[in-house]
Amino acid sequence: MGNCLKAQSADDISLLRGSETQDGNDQALGPPPPYQERVAPRAPIYYPSPNVSRPANLLTEDEQVKIAKRLGLIVHLPCGVYDGCSKKGKECAICMCDFVMGESLRFLPCMHTYHKDCIDDWLMRSFTCPSCMEPVDAALLTSYETS
Amino acid sequence: MTGLGLPRRIIKETQRLLAEPVPGITARPDDANARYFHVVVAGPSESPYEGGTFNLELFLPEEYPMSAPKVRFMTKIYHPNIDKLGRICLDILKDKWSPALQIRTVLLSIQALLSAPNPDDPLANDVAEQWKSNEAKAIEFARQWTRQYAMNNQTPQPSF
Repeated sequence: MGNCLKAQSADDISLLRGSETQDGNDQALGPPPPYQERVAPRAPIYYPSPNVSRPANLLTEDEQVKIAKRLGLIVHLPCGVYDGCSKKGKECAICMCDFVMGESLRFLPCMHTYHKDCIDDWLMRSFTCPSCMEPVDAALLTSYETS
Repeated sequence: MTGLGLPRRIIKETQRLLAEPVPGITARPDDANARYFHVVVAGPSESPYEGGTFNLELFLPEEYPMSAPKVRFMTKIYHPNIDKLGRICLDILKDKWSPALQIRTVLLSIQALLSAPNPDDPLANDVAEQWKSNEAKAIEFARQWTRQYAMNNQTPQPSF
């Protein structure tokens, strides 16, 4: 009896181990298999407000709408690549690093410029320009009206 | 060890703070933790805190600069916007934070808060009440606390 149980559990362990090793190899070679996502579900973290962080599955309905709106608006903000022209400033006020040729920048309607990754991270938390505090969505609407 | 994985921005801010300190304020990173700063703010002249030196701790959270530094008074202070645990009621440390603000601007704002207490947005309710009902007496209390806790206190230590 004891032996049987022992043998069974040993089998189970070896099976698990076998599959884990295989998954590990797969991961090293290419994208992780869907099996892994089920084992360790990790919802992306969102920031409905700068001081509030929540995994996607715990957002309230209002927060979901807010974040969906932001995602929709961000894609409409013009972006480009730094070409060495320094008339829009040459330091990103968020990471405090100088713009380097070829880096992706985003231009806000208030004319402030940041690294695309830096400002997008902030805009997902608060839809305001970090430098002038102007709400970006209101400014976006104004620029649509005038154009 | 200490600086490993430390964002360029924190390194830059620290260098600039040490090279060009804010008048009346010293901010020194901790030897063991580059995100933790020992801050000393001199009480502004023509305020009831004049002559005092106030120790504060400032911590840059993992999310900085996407979220605000955490700042706390270690020296006891009689102020309507600072409670007895040293927590500070200041909009830029809460909902008005922006990643374009820096350690320098935060410390300047705290210095300004000492010059201009705002009892209409209180954190220490009893102090704010005193400030609104009898400002002269409140200012006298603030002076008294400054003499008692913020003078000859050069070794930073929690005072409660």
